[in-house]
Amino acid sequence: MLPQLLRGFLLALVAAAMALPVGYFVADWAGWSLFCLGLGLQMIFHFRNFARLDRWSRNPVVDLSLEGEGAWDGVFGRLYRHEKEMRGEIARCDEDIAMLIAAGQALTDGVVLLSAHNHILFCNTTAEAQLGIAITKDRGQPVVNLVRQPEFVAYLEAGDYSLPLTLRSERRDGGVYSLHIIPYAGDRRLIQVKDVTKAARLDQMRSDFVANVSHELRTPLTVLSGFLETLQEIDVDRAERDRYLAMMGEQSKRMESIVQDLLTLSAIESAPPPDKAPVDMVSLIDKLRRDAEALSGGRHSIVVEADGQGDLLGSEPELVSAFGNLVANAVRYTPAAGTIRIGWKATPAGGEFSVQDTGIGIEAKHLPRLTERFYRVDRGRSRDAGGTGLGLAIVKHSLSRHQAELKITSTPGQGSRFAACFPASRVIGL
Amino acid sequence: MNEKSHLSSQFDEDLSSLRSHVLQMGGLVETQISTAIEAYSKGEVSAVKLIVETDRKVNALEKAIDDDCAHLIAKRQPAASDLRLVFGISKIVTDLERAGDEAKKIAKGVRRIYEAGQMPSQYGIGIRHIAEAALTMLRQALDAFARLDSGEAMRVIQADAEVDTEFKSIMRQLITHMMEDPRTITTSMDIIWIARAIERIGDHAKNVAEHVVFIVEGRDIRHPGKEQAE
Repeated sequence: MLPQLLRGFLLALVAAAMALPVGYFVADWAGWSLFCLGLGLQMIFHFRNFARLDRWSRNPVVDLSLEGEGAWDGVFGRLYRHEKEMRGEIARCDEDIAMLIAAGQALTDGVVLLSAHNHILFCNTTAEAQLGIAITKDRGQPVVNLVRQPEFVAYLEAGDYSLPLTLRSERRDGGVYSLHIIPYAGDRRLIQVKDVTKAARLDQMRSDFVANVSHELRTPLTVLSGFLETLQEIDVDRAERDRYLAMMGEQSKRMESIVQDLLTLSAIESAPPPDKAPVDMVSLIDKLRRDAEALSGGRHSIVVEADGQGDLLGSEPELVSAFGNLVANAVRYTPAAGTIRIGWKATPAGGEFSVQDTGIGIEAKHLPRLTERFYRVDRGRSRDAGGTGLGLAIVKHSLSRHQAELKITSTPGQGSRFAACFPASRVIGL
Repeated sequence: MNEKSHLSSQFDEDLSSLRSHVLQMGGLVETQISTAIEAYSKGEVSAVKLIVETDRKVNALEKAIDDDCAHLIAKRQPAASDLRLVFGISKIVTDLERAGDEAKKIAKGVRRIYEAGQMPSQYGIGIRHIAEAALTMLRQALDAFARLDSGEAMRVIQADAEVDTEFKSIMRQLITHMMEDPRTITTSMDIIWIARAIERIGDHAKNVAEHVVFIVEGRDIRHPGKEQAE
């Protein structure tokens, strides 16, 4: 600062030193004019720099055109550095913010940030899809204007956020979300939206399973205890008693087979992976055909469609039971004079064992749940046919232990096709 | 939001809370309708009770909102877009309340069918589909109101034609059924009432959307050719 002041003062002195002799020797006015000219020149020089600074300050850019002359050079240089640093700082902050937003977007859970008055501040794309918010339009909107379900409004207003709220989705059929409100930064709130559709379905399945097991066991048990009471209280003749005992035996066999199937299922679940012994498909299919013919008693025509190529690697008893189950189902649910096709086809891409029938078929809505335990399309009918409701669950489990997939296609009234698709690693002998 | 700043921020707050109340009422009506649809597909007769209970809340809210509107006009003398908003709101709540009544009709129809020992689900897909469409219309109309987005409202108005077409096709289907087998007439009539109620919900959603266009643009598009001056 001081050198600049000195320089200004010196320049004024130089002008005065030049003006003094002129004023003394020529004329007073000429001396004064020269002095003023000197000072004026200095002013013009300063004004030019000032104008440059003024122009720049209206639209500050980091650019080397910001260059001062003389005393202004230092000022301009410092401004330039300051501006550049600030911009660098802003860019770094922008980057940090962008990174945080990107992290928020990357979350698979929905996140909505709310202000103290429950207005939407930010939400990620997951939450946009889950709750039907469009953040570009809805920033600043009260969240209850868009998530209008009364349960949610009540939860938000109650202010007790210790437990999450389970909310059924309006916008996605069958979707279930778990919403948790987390207060943060004083009076702001964060809504975390978890998609719990799968967990809700599992819960449903588990409680269905318990209910089904008890129901399945109770039905024969009721019959048993009914007969027992009758036998205890009433004297019946020998023939009647034998008939009762036969029926009781039947029911206890039923219970036994349910328990047996449940045990099989849990054994499969906990057993080590099946061994990789070669299974001769030709003899296996031949056995399946004989079993099917025995079960059918000549009411159906059983057709085998296999070229004898390729064998499977796996546990023979498990495969026999799984395939046998599929064939037995086909026989049970196909009216007399129907056709049942047992097929085996091995290609380098993998093997496919299939059972196709011309039976009653299954409606599309039942297909996804068919392999659930005790799931029944028609309760009465499948029990009459002698099923325990666990057959397909066991099949699916045994197959998945062999990395095979059970594919079911069906047209009501025309028949069904159950196919077990094995990966190439399980097929040999091609 | 879209309102211009007012001298009195209290006024802004009043308007904003009025809107939130309308949307809260909309949420109740949406729940009523989805409960009714579920009752139809699952045969939950108990849903009627739930819907009637919600209806009480809806009615109370309708009265409260209408009251608020009257107070707001008297106290603040709103002009231009604010006045339109208040007017629009008082019309929207009427339509919402009626849509809720239609949901009640659906649930009662479902109860009649199940109590007569019939299964309505054989027409399930058609009815479910039209009901989902009507519910989506209402949801979009309310979203459009929350965002004051006339473009979204216009889309709702166009969607109404689809619901109407679908309703007509369900009617034709049911008439065929009734002619083929007169024993199905009782059930079919009930299903027609249900379909009719759903179609009306679509109409109410359309009305709400029209009110939104009126609020945003100041145009009354209800009856083309009758342009209303602001």
